Formats: sequence, structure tokens, C-alpha cells
Amino acid sequence: MTTPVTGAGAPALRRGGRARRKARWTFDSISFFLVFLGLPLALFLLLVIWPFVQAVFYSFTNWGGFSQDFDIIGLANYQRLVNDATFKTALGNNIKLAIVVPLVVIVIAMIFATLVTVGGRGIGQTIGVKNSGFYRVVSFFPYVIPAVVSGVIFSKVFDPSNGLLNGLLPEGLRQNWLGQVSTALPSSMFVIIWGAVGFYMLLFIAAIKAIPAETFEAARLDGAGRMRTMWSITIPSIRENIQTAWIYLGIAALDAFVYMHVLNNSGGPDNSTLVMPQYLFRLAFSQNQFGYASAVGVAMAVVTLVFAGLVFTINRLTGGTTRSS
Amino acid sequence: MTDSRSTITRRSVLRGALFTAAAVPFGVTLASCATGGGGGDDDPTTDGGGDATEPADASNPFGIEEGSSVETVIFNGGYGVDYVEFAAEIFNEMWGGEATVEPTTEITAALQPRFVAGDPPDLVDNSGAQSMGFGAILDQLEDLTDVVDAPNLEGTPIRDTLIAPNVLDSGVYDGKLAAINYVLTVYGVWYSKSLFDANGWTAPTTWAEALELGAAAKEQGKYLFAWGKEAATYYQTLAIDSAIKQGGDEVRLALENLEEGCWSLDAVQAVFSAMKEIVDAGYVKPGGSGTFFTDAQAQWSLDQDALLYPSGSWIENEMKDNTADDFQMMGVPAFVVDDSSALPATALHSEAGEPFIVPSDAANVAGGKEILRIMLSKEAATNFAKTKLAPTVIADTVPEDGFGSTALVSQVEMLAAAGSDTFTHKFVGLYGLNQAQLVVWNAFLDGSKSVEELTSDLQAITDEARNTQEVIPVS
Repeated sequence: MTTPVTGAGAPALRRGGRARRKARWTFDSISFFLVFLGLPLALFLLLVIWPFVQAVFYSFTNWGGFSQDFDIIGLANYQRLVNDATFKTALGNNIKLAIVVPLVVIVIAMIFATLVTVGGRGIGQTIGVKNSGFYRVVSFFPYVIPAVVSGVIFSKVFDPSNGLLNGLLPEGLRQNWLGQVSTALPSSMFVIIWGAVGFYMLLFIAAIKAIPAETFEAARLDGAGRMRTMWSITIPSIRENIQTAWIYLGIAALDAFVYMHVLNNSGGPDNSTLVMPQYLFRLAFSQNQFGYASAVGVAMAVVTLVFAGLVFTINRLTGGTTRSS
Repeated sequence: MTDSRSTITRRSVLRGALFTAAAVPFGVTLASCATGGGGGDDDPTTDGGGDATEPADASNPFGIEEGSSVETVIFNGGYGVDYVEFAAEIFNEMWGGEATVEPTTEITAALQPRFVAGDPPDLVDNSGAQSMGFGAILDQLEDLTDVVDAPNLEGTPIRDTLIAPNVLDSGVYDGKLAAINYVLTVYGVWYSKSLFDANGWTAPTTWAEALELGAAAKEQGKYLFAWGKEAATYYQTLAIDSAIKQGGDEVRLALENLEEGCWSLDAVQAVFSAMKEIVDAGYVKPGGSGTFFTDAQAQWSLDQDALLYPSGSWIENEMKDNTADDFQMMGVPAFVVDDSSALPATALHSEAGEPFIVPSDAANVAGGKEILRIMLSKEAATNFAKTKLAPTVIADTVPEDGFGSTALVSQVEMLAAAGSDTFTHKFVGLYGLNQAQLVVWNAFLDGSKSVEELTSDLQAITDEARNTQEVIPVS
């Protein structure tokens, strides 16, 4: 049976591996390293790192995108970026997305995952609610639909004149969902959340299944209710999955290009749904300012890395206490 | 065993997350960013086509070589590509060569790397939402004046067969005819003749008449205008057209040259105020800022919730499947403010679209020009009008009955009534301002922006373009 990770096994394995490698450089081991280390590394350098370097370089130029001619203009693009109100709006929208979307998705996915795995009857074997297999399949459907398609579907649902949503609502509650500042971003967030919950629910289900059933049974024998079990058993046991989910969702929210572009490709009312990649796309492909667009791309990379770093730090700060207790 | 494996998995997942974190934002920028290593020579001289030797032969004005091949890349939009294939077949018969037509909807994605590498195709229809900005490629394009001066296949110089002498002006950038725009588009305000006849309405010619018509529409539970979020700037086009008719060429030049205070000119302000009056009176169907533009257009053409829709003449074709029976689409030119307008009420924004360009670095420059010459000849131009129900820049290709289309007849009538009072403007597309302006116009049509805010926001967009992009002077 699986036991909580102690980390004791890993160093032992590593030590053993190093000893073997030192022993002999056979054809086997060399070809193994070439294929499984050399090739991926070469591809990674060529297709990921090299374009990074190029983007950073172009961000110091005024390259228009269609010729070999450009001037190196130093930090001018970055100076412009700092004073660019539209960029700041886009950055703000991305930050709002990166806070709200992961939070809501993880909470909903967590609740659903708990319900279909351990939320069932309170006696006997630990199981999910009735028909949990059916719910599990159904909740995954939205994730199967491509983002573009769900974007188009929801843009029709939100249509103020003939849309499904306004059709269902009484007169007084009808809104121009995607067309006014107060509702455009929340409506767009809803679509992203709708599309993402199914996948993260599945992720959490898999993680919860890996927790030994005895743990739950022991907790129950000690008199823990469902909420207490979720708070004290489930969440601490799968916190690394939650952290991963948070990072993935955060990155998705810092991008969000597909949904936003389909729902409101001009950036929404008063730019209230404009996100950084959309602005970058507009600069590069409709205004031919590839140099400045590269600077926006670099800024996006920095923001994303800062976000990932923040999540790691927060998890480390809160994580230590949980583990020791 | 299970333990160590799960450690590794988690580690690599987290590491993967970090790498993804770094990779995602770059993916967008870099997909197409590579000048490096191309080694393209910066020598601007033309190396193909042999047009250095001055050919006197009228049947071969560009000195094309027998059996040479021509590569064309054509925007595959509303007009398709078969009209270029029609010309390519004629080319193949004439020269025994091979002219290929490659359709694409994403001109920039397909051609940007080839321009950077100095290996562009011989003829390009640089059109559609993903077209290349002219500012960026201007110095890599041939001046096409020699095509216009060349005789067509029937022997008449092409310049003498044009529908109006200034019709190709939309392809002139900084004094150079960099593009020949092939299809003629008429901008106006479109309505249903059958609906207007049934109610005894006439199409307005001034903004005051439009306001009256709005009141009449409201009595019937209808609106005067409708708009969609991606097409809010159609109302900007209408406003600019009106302002140019009201204030004359100085308005056009101020806007085209991105001048300071260009949106505050009296004529522009008069038009904005008139529009604001219509918005405030509730004559614009609400909710446009959240409505997909083709849905909004169907509210006009199919549901007939709105009476008027400002657009280019592509609207008939675009809404073909979503137009009420017996709609009888007709157009009127953009409204003037009052009788004191600088241009007459019949003056018309007509613009030649589908810009065909010949890159200077192309392998067969002469071949690209030859295909254009064939397209501008009577046979190919008539074929286009007949199959696409749209006029080209070549005159007398549309018969009286407009091949059965009221909108086409209406276009020809508007063009005839305008005579030489036609104009166009292109700064919005040239400097890529549309996306930013859409935001402003959606808010204005929603009623949430005043004329002052509309003016200052549009001015800010113009000012930013002037300060960050190279301005190509227009005179």
C-alpha cells in the first residue's frame, strides 16, 4: 500500500544510480543518454530557449516584422510599456483572472471531487454519492469541447437580444452580458471556469483515490464529519496536487487568449476584458510593431514567473506547519 | 518503490509547471519571429522578369519570358480565388507557362517569413483581417504605374478603361502606386426599399432627416440603427464620410495625416453631435456592444428591427442567407449635416479594395504584372462582375439589370450620381487603429460616452499612432 511520501527512498536510488554510471560507459548507457537526455535537451534549446533569447533581443529593437531592417533602440520599448495605459489595463485584467479563476475552479472541483469519491453514505465502505460514475463523466464534458467552440457557444448564450440566458431571466435581470463593463469580465470568467472545472475535478479524484481508505475510515471512527474529513484529511493529503492545479490555472488565466479573443475580440467594453496576449497580438499583427510586442511578451513572461514563484512561496510558508502537525 | 516513483512524478510535474510558466507567454510572440540567419541580401534591385530591357512590344509590355512560371498568393475571402484562376488560365494559354494560385485566409502568417527571407511570391492579394500592413512592406513593393499605363488585352491603355481617374488612389502610398485595388466597394447606408415603400418613408440624406426617420421608426416599435461589437467602427466610417462631405478635403487630409486636433474640426463635431442626438433619443437598438456583428446585421436584414445599416457594399453578399424575402436592398451615400456642405449630398465614399501587390524581390516580377494586366482587361473584369455581383475598377462591366441585384444597380447609380465627387480614406487600416477605436465606438453607441469623450479618446488613439509609427503623408 502507498504510504505518505517521506523522501527517504529517493536519495538511496540516486546514490545507487551514480555508482552504476561511474562503473562503465557502455554503448547502452551512452545511447540512452543521447536519446533521452541529449535529444530532448537539443529540441528544448532550439525550440524554446532560442526563441526566448530572440524575443528578448527583438524587444530592444523597433523591428516592424516584414524586413531585415531594424534599429536597436535600447530600453525605449520598456519605457513606453511602463507608461502604456492599455497595457496596464490588460495586466490588471490578467491579474484579476489569475486570482479569481484558480480560486473558483479549485473550490468547485474540490467539492465535486469529494462528493463523487468520499461524500457518500456515512457508514460502511467509503464511497461517493449515488450515481457518482455518471456525474464524473458528465462533469468532464465541458473540458472535451475546444475552448474556441465553448467561446462561440457562450457568446450566443450571452447575446442580449436573442440569447438563451436573457431568454430565461425575467425582464428586470436581463443584461447586456458581454457588452457592459460591470458584467463583461465576470461573464468571461464564468466561461473559463465552466470549461476548466471538469479536468481539475478529475485530477483531484485521482489524487483522493490514492489516499488510503483506512485513513478516512479511521477519521470516521474518531467521529469526524464530512467537512472535517475534507479539511483535515483530504486537503492536506493532496495539497501538492492543489498547488500544481493552482499554477496551471494561473498560467491559463494569465494567457486566457482563446476565450477572450472569441468572446470579445476587440477587448470588451472599455477594454475591460483585454488580456496581455490579445494586446500583444494586436500590436504585432495589426499594428506591425513586433519589437514593442516582444517587449510585451517579455513582460508577460516576467509576470508569469513571478506568479509561479508566489504560489511556491505561499505553499512553502503554509505547507511546513501542516506537515509537522 | 511506489514512493520514489511518486516523488519523481511530482517533481517533474512541478518542474514542468515552471517551464510551462516560462514558455507560455513566449509562444505567442515567437511563433513567427525570426529574421535571424536568413542571410537575405539587402540589395533592392529586381533580379527577375528582365524588365531592365525596355520592351516596346505592346503585346508584351513587361518583357515576359515564354514559358515562365508565376506564383500568386490570393486572399480567399468573400470573393474566392476563382477570378484569379480565370486570369491565370489566360496567362497559361498566352505564354505557355505555369501560373499557380495559392488561396489563403492568413496572408500575414503565410507571407511574413517569406518577405523577411527576401523570397516573396510574384503577386499577392493582400486583403482580409490578417493582411500585411502597408506601412511595413511599402519599400519592398513595385510601383505599379507601368501596369496602368500598359494596354489591356484588347489594346486600350488600362488607364482609359478605369471607372474614374482617381479610383486607384486608395493604392497610392507616399506617391507610389504600391497596390492596385481591383474590386470597387461603395460605402453608404443600406435599407430595404420594399419596407420603405410600404411605409412611405424615403431614405434620409441629412442627419436631421435621419432623426425624423428615427421617430417614425420608433412609432412602429423599430429602431433606426443597429450595431454589432466587432463592427461598431462602421459608424465611425459613416461619421468620417459625413464629415468629409460636410467639411471638404481639409477634413480628409487632417484625419489621414493624423494631425493634432483632427477630431475636433467643426465638421467632425457637427456629425458627432447629430449622432449623439440619435443615440440619446433611443433610436439605436441597445445591446450592440454585446452582440456578434453578423447577428446584429441580421436584426436589420432579417428581423428588420432596424431600418438602416451603414456598411460597405459587401453587405448584400455577406447577408445573402440572412435577408428577408423581397428585401430589395438599396443604398444612399453618407448623410451631410446641412445644405452648406462642401461636397454635394451625392458625393460618395467609394474605395477600390482587394489590393494586389507585386513584391520587388519576387522571382518573376514581370509575370506578376502580366497577371494583373490580364485581370484588368475587359474579359476578366466582366467575368468578375458577373460571377461576384460586384463592380471592379474597370468601367462598363455591369449591365442595366445588375445581373438581378438591386444593390448592384444601386451601387452603379450612386457612382454615376457622384461623378467625380468620390473620395476615400485609409488611415484606420494603414495604422491598425480599428481595434482600439472599436472600444470607443462601442461605448459611444451604448450611450455611455459623450461627444467630448468620444473626441478625446479618438484623438488619443490618433496621437499615439503619430508618435509611435512612421506617418506616411497624404495630400
